[in-house]
Amino acid sequence: MALRELVNKIVPIKEDFSIKSLLGFKKTPLNVLVSFMIVGLILLLVWGIAQYLMHGHHAYNVSREHPWGLLISGYIFFVGTSTGLCIIASLGHVFGIKEFNHIGKRTTLLAIITLLPGFIIILSEIGHPVTMMIYNILTPGITSAIWWMGTLYGLVLTFIILEFGFALRGDHKWAVRFGIGGLIADVAAFTTLGSVFAYLVARPIANGPFIPLYFLLTAVVAGAFFMFMIYGFKHKLNFPKEVEVTLIKLAKILGLLLVVTMFFEWWRMITAIYGGMPERADTMMKIVGSSSFWIEMLFAWAIPFVIILVSKGKAIKALFFAAIPALISIFLMRNDMVHYAQMAPMQMLKKTEYQLAPTWIEYFPSPVEWAIAVGALGVCFLLYYVAEKAFDLDEDEHH
Amino acid sequence: MAKYGMAFDYKLCINCHACEVACKEENGILLGADKHRLWIGESEPVGDFYNLARDKGGFLQHQCQQCENAPCLKACPNDAIYRDENGIIQLYESKCDLSLNCMDACPYDARYVDEKKHITDKCIFCSDTRLSRGETTTACQITCPAKVRIFGDLDDENSEISKILSQREYFTLKPEKGTEPKLFYLV
Ligand code: SF4
Ligand code: SF4
Repeated sequence: MALRELVNKIVPIKEDFSIKSLLGFKKTPLNVLVSFMIVGLILLLVWGIAQYLMHGHHAYNVSREHPWGLLISGYIFFVGTSTGLCIIASLGHVFGIKEFNHIGKRTTLLAIITLLPGFIIILSEIGHPVTMMIYNILTPGITSAIWWMGTLYGLVLTFIILEFGFALRGDHKWAVRFGIGGLIADVAAFTTLGSVFAYLVARPIANGPFIPLYFLLTAVVAGAFFMFMIYGFKHKLNFPKEVEVTLIKLAKILGLLLVVTMFFEWWRMITAIYGGMPERADTMMKIVGSSSFWIEMLFAWAIPFVIILVSKGKAIKALFFAAIPALISIFLMRNDMVHYAQMAPMQMLKKTEYQLAPTWIEYFPSPVEWAIAVGALGVCFLLYYVAEKAFDLDEDEHH
Repeated sequence: MAKYGMAFDYKLCINCHACEVACKEENGILLGADKHRLWIGESEPVGDFYNLARDKGGFLQHQCQQCENAPCLKACPNDAIYRDENGIIQLYESKCDLSLNCMDACPYDARYVDEKKHITDKCIFCSDTRLSRGETTTACQITCPAKVRIFGDLDDENSEISKILSQREYFTLKPEKGTEPKLFYLV
C-alpha cells in the first residue's frame, strides 16, 4: 500500500477506494448499460487509433481540398467544453458568485476530463505527433496560431490540474491562484484556437474576428449543458436545494449567452450575405440553406432558450433533457464550422474566364474518424467515474 | 542571392501537360498524381454542341506563387517553412508534423501531402534538383513547346523575366489577399 500512501500525501483519496470499489457498483440495469457503453466507446477509440496507426491519414476522409475534418472538430468540441467548464468553475471562487462555490471542485475535474480526450483526438489527427512535440519546443513558430494554441493548452492543463490538486488538499488560497491562471490561459487558448480559422485569409468565410468570439460564447454554452447533464445523472433529477439554486442561476446565465450568441450569428449571417462578396456570401447562403444548420439552431439554441424563457430558468429538469440533444448538436456544429471554412473551392482563374459554376467541396467523416471522435467520450466518462470513486468532489469549505 | 520568379505567356498554352510530365520526371513526383507541384487550370468550353469554342487564355498555369508575404510560412507551428536565399519558400522536411495548417492557409491550393515522404510539398522551382546542379532553368520551362514559361531572377535587370515584365502588362492571382505573389501572368 506504499503507493496509496504516497498518493495520499499529495492528494487525499477516499478511504474505500480500490479496484474492488471501482467494480462494485450497484448492478441496476441503468448502471450496467452505462458501463457497457463506456467499455464500448473505449473499444471504438482503440480500434480507431489502431486503424490510424496502420493507415495514417488514409483512414480518414480528409483530402487535399479539405485537409481538416471531424478530428479537428472533435478536438474543438472537447477543449471548448473544457474551457466553458473552467469558466463556470471560476464563477464561485474567482468571480465571487457564492452559489457556485460548492461546485468548484467537481467542475474543475470536469474541465480536466474533457480536455484529455481532446488531446487524444488531436494527437491522432496530426501526421507526426512526436515531430510536433519536439519542434514545438525547439523551433517555435511564433507567427502561428496553432503554436500558441497548443502551448497555451499545455499551460491550461498544468494549471487546472494544480488547481484541482490544491482544492482536494483544502488549500483554497493556491487553488484560487491556479484557478485564475487556468482561467486566463484557457480563455486565451480557446480564442486562439478560433484564430486558427480567423487568420485564414484564404478562406473569406472564416477570416475575421467572428470565430474567436463565437468560440468563447459557445464554450460556456457547451460547458453549461455539460453541467446539466452531469448533475442530472448524479442526482437522478432529484436535485438537493443547494444544487437547484446553482443550476437555476446557471440556467439564467445560459439563457443570456444563448441570446447573445444568436444575436452574433444573426449579424454574421446578414453581413456575410449582404453585398454578395464571392466565397463569402455564396458560402453563407449554402450554410443557411443546409438542414443541419437549422437542426443545430433548433436543438442547441431555440429549444433550450424557450425552456429558460418560459420557466424563468427554473425548469432545470427540462434543461437536463434538452442538454443531451444540445450537446450532440454542438458537436455537429463544430464539425460544420470546420467544414464551412473549407467547402468553398479555391478559385484561381479570373471569374470572367471561368465559365463553370464551382462545385462545393464535399466531406463526410470516415468510420475511423467517427470512432476516434466519439470513442474519446468513453475516456471522459471513465475518468469521471474513477475520480468520483477516488476523490471527495463536494466542497467542504466554509468561508 | 537572387529573387526568383516566373512569368507566363499564358495565352500561348496548348494544354499539352509536357510541363507536368517534366516536373514529375525531374523531381521524382508521384506519377499519375493530380495537381502535384504544378497543374493547368482549364476553363470550360462555351457554345452549343457541336459549335464549341474555348476562349484564348482558357488554360492557366498553377503552382506555388512563392509569396513574398506567405500565409503558409506564418501558419506553420514548427517553423518548418522558410524562405531561402533565392526567395523560394522551402520546407525543413524533418520538422513537418503534417498538421496541415499550411494547406488550409495557402490561398492558391499549392500544397499537397507528399505520399512518399510524408510531408507537405509544393513547387520549389527545381531548386534541389536543377538549380543545385547549376542550371538556370526549371524543368517545366525548358520543356514547354509553346514557350509559355519565363523563369529568372527578378532582381537582375538584365534577366529575361525582368525585361519582359518591364515591357508587358501582367496580372497576379488574388492580389487582394496581400500575398505578393512572384508568378506573373502576361496579358
Ligand atoms: S502559394 Fe501557397 S504554398 Fe506557395 S508561398 Fe504562397 S502560401 Fe505558401
Ligand atoms: S508545357 Fe507549356 S504548353 Fe504545355 S501545358 Fe505546360 S505550360 Fe502549357
